[in-house]
This record gives sequence, C-alpha cells and structure tokens, in this order.
Amino acid sequence: MTKQDTTHFGFEEVATDEKAHRVADVFHSVASKYDLMNDLMSGGVHRLWKRFTIELSAVRPGHKVLDIAGGTGDLAYKFSKLVGDEGQVILSDINSSMLNVGRDRLIDRGVNQNVQYVQLDAQHIPFDDNSFDCVTIAFGLRNVTDKDLALRSILRVLKPGGRLLVLEFSKPKNKLLEKIYDEYSFRLLPFMGKLITDDADSYRYLAESIRMHPDQKTLQGMMDEAGFTNTEYHNMTGGIVALHKGIKP
Amino acid sequence: MSATKSSAGAGSESCLDTGLDISIVQAIAVSIESIINTALQYDPSSKQKIAQINDILAIRITAPSMTLYFHGQDDGVAVLSYYEDSISTQLSGSVLALVSLLKQPTSLTNSGVQLSGSVALLQQWQTIVETLDIDWEDALGQLFGNNVVSDTFAPLATGYLKQSAQWAHQQQQEHQRLIAEYLPEELNVVPSKPEVEDFIQQVGDVRSHTDRLTARIQLLKKQLTESPLLKSKQHSSQDENKK
Repeated sequence: MTKQDTTHFGFEEVATDEKAHRVADVFHSVASKYDLMNDLMSGGVHRLWKRFTIELSAVRPGHKVLDIAGGTGDLAYKFSKLVGDEGQVILSDINSSMLNVGRDRLIDRGVNQNVQYVQLDAQHIPFDDNSFDCVTIAFGLRNVTDKDLALRSILRVLKPGGRLLVLEFSKPKNKLLEKIYDEYSFRLLPFMGKLITDDADSYRYLAESIRMHPDQKTLQGMMDEAGFTNTEYHNMTGGIVALHKGIKP
Repeated sequence: MSATKSSAGAGSESCLDTGLDISIVQAIAVSIESIINTALQYDPSSKQKIAQINDILAIRITAPSMTLYFHGQDDGVAVLSYYEDSISTQLSGSVLALVSLLKQPTSLTNSGVQLSGSVALLQQWQTIVETLDIDWEDALGQLFGNNVVSDTFAPLATGYLKQSAQWAHQQQQEHQRLIAEYLPEELNVVPSKPEVEDFIQQVGDVRSHTDRLTARIQLLKKQLTESPLLKSKQHSSQDENKK
C-alpha cells in the first residue's frame, strides 16, 4: 500500500477507502447522545462558537445556505430563521444516523418550511455550480478523507461572492493551555465517552483527529489553494477552536 | 488578544475590534441578551415596541474594547458581537459612562459618551427603557410555579419589592436634598442655590447693561461724526490752514 493510498484515522494510518467507513461507525455510535456529549465536553461553549459562526455568515432573508456535516441541526435551525420563507437551508451530513437525529430535532422545534435534508459526501456535493450564498461546515472537515477535494467541491457550489465558514478544532496559542487541553482530551474525554455513551474509542478518535487536523495557517493556505479569496480566521477560546472564512471570487 | 488573521494581499480586514477572546465577547452578548429578553417576557408592550425597531444600535465599549450590536426582533432583542452592514447609531464610551447614561438618560453633555448617527433611534430605545414596566407578580409566579404557596407569596413579594423600590427611590432623593442643604448651610463650602441664582442674575444684568452702554457709545460716536456743527468746524479749520 503506497502513501497515497492511505490516510489518517486519528493517529492510525488506514486505507483511504476505509476512513469513511470508520468515521461513519464513530458517528453511528454517538449520534443519539451527540448533543449531550458536546455540552459536557465543551461546558456549553460550543454554543458560543456556533453563535459567532452564525454572525460571521451574514446570512440574510432569501439566502440559500448549505450546512455540511450539520449533525444535529444547531446551525440549520438558526439559519432557517434568518433566511425566512423566501430562503432555503439544506441540512446535510454523510452519516444517516446524525441526519436523522438532526431532522427529528428540527421537526420537533417546528421547523419544516424552508429546510431540506440531504445525505451527502462533502467531497462530491450533488448540487449545481453557483447554488449557495453560504456554506458552513462545523466540526466536520477533520473527518473528511480528502479535505482539498471537499474545499474545491464547496467552492464550485458557492455563488460568486458567497462565503465558506469552517468551524473546527485547531491549535491552542498558549503552551500551558495546550498542555492542559492535551491532558483533558486524552484522559478525560474517553472517560466521559465511556460513561455517557459506553464508547471510549469514539472519543479517543475525536481527540486524535483534532491533533491530526491542519492548524490555523495550514487550513487557511488550503483554502487559498482551493481558490478562495479574502480568507481569514478567528481564534476562539485561546485557539482551541478556529473559524475560517473564505469568499468565492 | 483576539486573533484574527487575513490572508496576505487579500485586503480583508475583520470588523472585530475586540481585545478579548471571541468566546468571552459572545458570553457577554448572550448574557445581556438573555437578561433583556427575560425582562421583556414580563412587559409585552415594550417587547412589541422593540420588535418594530429595524435599525441597528451599536454600543462601543472603550475598555475592554468591544462593540455590541442591538437589533430588535419578534422574540425580543438580539445582541451581536459582529455585524457587517451599516449601522444607524453608535454610542461609544467607557462601561461606567454608558451605565450612568442608562440610569440618567437625559443628556449626553459631559457624560463621557459619544454619539454618532441617528438620534431618533437612540430616543426610541430611551423611551422603551424609561417606560419599561415589568410585571413582577407574573415573574415571581412563574418562578415559584402555579400552586397555593405561589398564589399567596407572589403578590406579597411583589408588593414588598415595589415598596422597597419606592423606599429606595425616596431615600435617594432625600439624601440628595440633605447633601444639597448641608454643604452650603452647615459647612459653608458652597453657596446656596438662591445665592448662585442671584449671582447669575446679577452677572446677566451687568452683561446687558454693558451691552446697552456699548451700543449707546457707538451711536453717539456715529452722531458726532455726522453732526453738521462738527463738519462746519472742520471746514473752517481747513480754510484757515489754506490762508
């Protein structure tokens, strides 16, 4: 097996074809308690990160928004209120379990007018060119096998002037914070995963996949390389999470 | 330090001007939004008025540096840390100055708060803040639930709260009155209000007298230069000089 045929799954080197299946298994396993775990793991701060993502999206009534790896629909819910009846939101995820949870949650919250649900692979987005005003991918890009391919695919479906927002774990800016964060993710996270979802491995993968994900500058470079302009990033919580923004020229 | 980096040469600059971590700014925005909207739940009239405000009010705090954007919407107020489009009105100043303005929203002069943009929007918000009338009975009733204890306790507690607020307001006014009397009457360190008013009146009188006198002098000078007697004198002196 050559280097090009393999990719990382956490700290593990796996065949490229295998990663998607392994990631799918992780999310099938955690889907039902995904929100609870997010709140526990981040102490609720993930809601602040997502709130800022919504603000930076500058989505307005009538806009068309694609939320990739939308999971349980936190962003899609807010977007559906912002775009109004004239707009449209596509909540998408590669994982059917996550998409089902997201769909049920949005229906329970009374959202059924302007949101559609699509199971899709970010590397091969099944929409026409220049379709969306905004594309978001929150805590999803690190699970994508070929990130460059996904970024190019997103660029294709964005309208000129449309924006991509990537919310993702990143590299803390402070050495002390990094050390504390390492201890927390490699010791406490799997323990909490075991306690809540009876699945320590999935949360070990989460910690490992975060470490393998490109840091702020590398991801910005990848977005530039894919063809986005005016790329920028905003560190949050000391760089534990970063929000990248890019515009389609 | 808020880290916001733009790609080189792209010319993109973030509108965020905060020195704080974005998570902290967001937490502040969420807290303010939550407090306002909880209060508005018990004052539907103000909530309705806020829903009709379409323009954005920006409040820029100088230290720690951050800007919050207030936007009326159907379910209350949205407080944002980032807004891209143009804003109608911006207030900027220190936290202390802005809070003082909220407590006594009569004048911006010497308040330490700068205003730019539309005054009308600020007046709209001021009116809402001044007429805010929270139904404390309802709020306490919901806090303690619908039961006999709550039905008895909520009106009592509301009455007590209203009386306390009234008492506090009276005490504040009384203290202001006592201080106003004590400083000029007992310590003699400042003049009393009537003395100041009398002095101001006297200064005003002197000013108007001076103005009238100046005008009178000007008039006399003019009359003197145009007087036929003076002109004939001037002519005769010129003739004598020729001779």
